[in-house]
Amino acid sequence: MSIDAAPHPTRTAAGPVTARLNVTWTGPEDGPVVLFAHGFGCDQGMWDGVLPHFSDDHRVVRYDLMGYGQSDFSAYDPVRYSTLDGHADDILAICAELDLRDVTIVAHSVSTMMAVMAAIREPGRFRQVVLVAANPYFLQDPATGYDGGFSDADMTEVAGALDSNYFTWAEAMAPVIMGTPEAPEHGERLTASFCRVNPDVARQLLGIMFTTDYRPLLPQVTVPTVVLQARADALVPASTAGYLHAHLAGSTLVQLQALGHCPHISAPEETAAAIRAHLLTT
Amino acid sequence: MTPDYADLWEHAPGSHLLLDDDGLITAANATFCEWTGHAAADLLGRPFTSLLPIGDRVLHTTHALPQLMVTGRIAEASVQVIGADGQRHPALMGATRVTAGLPAPETRVVLVDAQQRRRYEEELLTARRRAEESQARIAAAEAALTELVHHDSLTGLLNRPGLLHALHGRLGRWGADATGPGTAVPTVFFIDLDGFKAVNDGLGHSSGDELLRVVARRLEDASRAGADVARLAGDEFVVLDDVSPAGTRRVAARLLDVLAEPVVLQGVEVVVAASIGSCAAEVPVAPADVEGAADLVLLRADTAMYRAKAQGSGRWEAHVPGSPDPAADRLVLLEQLRGAIRDGELRVHYQPRMDLPTGGVSGVEALVRWQHPTRGLLQPDAFIDAAEESGVIRDLGAWVLSEAVEQAVRWDAAGVAPGLQVAVNVSARQLADTDLVARVAGVLARAGLPASRLVLEITETALMHDPESALTTLQALRALGVLLAVDDFGTGYSSFTYLKQFPVDELKIDRSFVAGMTTDAGDRAIVASCVHLAHAMGLVAVAEGVESPDERDALVALGCDQAQGYWFSRPVPADEVPFPAAVGV
Repeated sequence: MSIDAAPHPTRTAAGPVTARLNVTWTGPEDGPVVLFAHGFGCDQGMWDGVLPHFSDDHRVVRYDLMGYGQSDFSAYDPVRYSTLDGHADDILAICAELDLRDVTIVAHSVSTMMAVMAAIREPGRFRQVVLVAANPYFLQDPATGYDGGFSDADMTEVAGALDSNYFTWAEAMAPVIMGTPEAPEHGERLTASFCRVNPDVARQLLGIMFTTDYRPLLPQVTVPTVVLQARADALVPASTAGYLHAHLAGSTLVQLQALGHCPHISAPEETAAAIRAHLLTT
Repeated sequence: MTPDYADLWEHAPGSHLLLDDDGLITAANATFCEWTGHAAADLLGRPFTSLLPIGDRVLHTTHALPQLMVTGRIAEASVQVIGADGQRHPALMGATRVTAGLPAPETRVVLVDAQQRRRYEEELLTARRRAEESQARIAAAEAALTELVHHDSLTGLLNRPGLLHALHGRLGRWGADATGPGTAVPTVFFIDLDGFKAVNDGLGHSSGDELLRVVARRLEDASRAGADVARLAGDEFVVLDDVSPAGTRRVAARLLDVLAEPVVLQGVEVVVAASIGSCAAEVPVAPADVEGAADLVLLRADTAMYRAKAQGSGRWEAHVPGSPDPAADRLVLLEQLRGAIRDGELRVHYQPRMDLPTGGVSGVEALVRWQHPTRGLLQPDAFIDAAEESGVIRDLGAWVLSEAVEQAVRWDAAGVAPGLQVAVNVSARQLADTDLVARVAGVLARAGLPASRLVLEITETALMHDPESALTTLQALRALGVLLAVDDFGTGYSSFTYLKQFPVDELKIDRSFVAGMTTDAGDRAIVASCVHLAHAMGLVAVAEGVESPDERDALVALGCDQAQGYWFSRPVPADEVPFPAAVGV
């Protein structure tokens, strides 16, 4: 894993939405727009490994999900974010505030369904949707033979784990000074906090993510999609990628060699290359 | 001697694992195997996450792994490790990912048994959850209390505070952007039953209560789900809903319809029609004006209801914007009147009462005036009804009583009219006031005026409003030694049974009969009957409103004892009362 210095300085905006969601961007301003949406459990730093593969010739925009990273927790409204719609609105609000057009959105994990919602609501805004480790429904549906990978008993366990790890999580919110001689290239950024998560927010988001069936959204997507699936993803069964491919009209399925739920972290080169290989050009 | 690192690895105080970048276990030390019961050979090549319960697996995958991959390190993640026997071992996990100097990246995991710490954490967590629950319970209890305070126990509808709360909410929430012609706006339908008193009197209170409950259910059923339905008092109901101007008539008609249906009470079919007045709020309302706007829209609907009732039963009238607005005027008036009492704008004028046989002044009636800063001197009919309905009459009446009694003492001191009686009016609301007797006694005692010099005039209508409690109050006043007069006699519906029991001293014959007695034989007969009745009961007969010498002569001929009116003197300020000589003779 090596990260080159970004050739263009990262900028942050002064608008209310971009400030609230800690939106940052880099790359040439006239380049095609790639918007990265991170997944459950971390922040936009998750994309650090793939960023250099885009920032030369793309306007790369990243943000922190509300309740994560450097987003403004004081703006967290449990009602607004009681479904993914509030987060999908955030994506559209970022696009509107920065006047992003023809956007390629690359979304990971829980953000994939937010991106799907945003693309359904404003299809004209997006050129392409790239889904990394997407799971439209985590539970089983015996009626249709669908298996999202988790049983009801698993769900109870997951909720319990969130509870029992509460204090650890709360501690994780404090800034951490990272002395990592093995990875000096991260040193600078990591003197700040990493993967700061508000545990209450995480609990709510995980609850939504694990109990809501987003499958009905899939046929409504008209924007071209790319589905990236890694091997042995603990949160996404292998069959799910096929399901997505079958229900997203005209989608492209890319099977990665990378392992696990976060291929953009464990194998940023491969992931970036797979995304680039399927980027549409105007 | 070289330290035995191999032995340190195997038997370190903590459990240690090595993982490759695919998360597979490449080495496990003896401490780990002893702690979990797993054989080292079984662990090799197995995904580390398979040792975690599913919840921890999710957290590890979504939180710990990204952090480990990017920062190279995680510290003190709270996990459980599943042992060979299926038992879960609470542990704190730390890990570093090492890349330098190795053919492939390696993750070094240390697990420390955390049984005790986990127990503490669980206790803390339970306490936190319990605190959250108790907060939720307190909130629920408060909500239940509010519910209680805002509802009418008889019908379960909102009561007046509940309705005001709902109305304030609707007005306060109204956005400035929501207006436009045809928009639904908060609209009050003020409903008054027409036949309720007859039911209460004829079939008893329990039937009256039943009727109110039936009406309440019907109003609820006839209203939209989002509407607020309230019972304000007695048989007054309000339906509050967001209604477009065009929809108002429809809503009113539906409400009138459901109330026109007969109700069966104790086997008797009763028809209670209603009168409805409606008023739409003028939105949007500035936050500071919400309460005033709510009062105004209720008053306007109430006023419209009275207009509907005046035209007969079963009718609806809407408040007409831009028309003269008695409701708004009344609010302003009341506010000014409160200020007038405080700022000394009220005056008492005195009208002499003549002794007809002698032509001398036997007493004066105290009459309140309002020296209004812009409208000039106002007569009582301009403000007394509003004062009575709003309760301002209590303060106003108390002030007049005290002023009149003190004036009598001043006249005594000046020696102008020894033994002069001062008559003061007492309204229905004052009569119902439990403080009245004590207040009268206090005023007399402070001023040092003998009770027999004070006459309290109470209208026939006020006495008959609640005759039984009036009787109690009159007896208590009489016990003080105060004289009592029945005012406006002949205009109400006196029950002679009661009248006989009331300890009164005077009957004041209403001016409307006096005015007609020289031209109308009927009026003359009524006045004659009143004089006879008074004398038969041992009361003094007093004629009001005498405006001509003919009227005076006719009264003298009928044997009337006393009289007052413009012919003798208008009500005048205290220093202009014509003492001591008789006037007009």
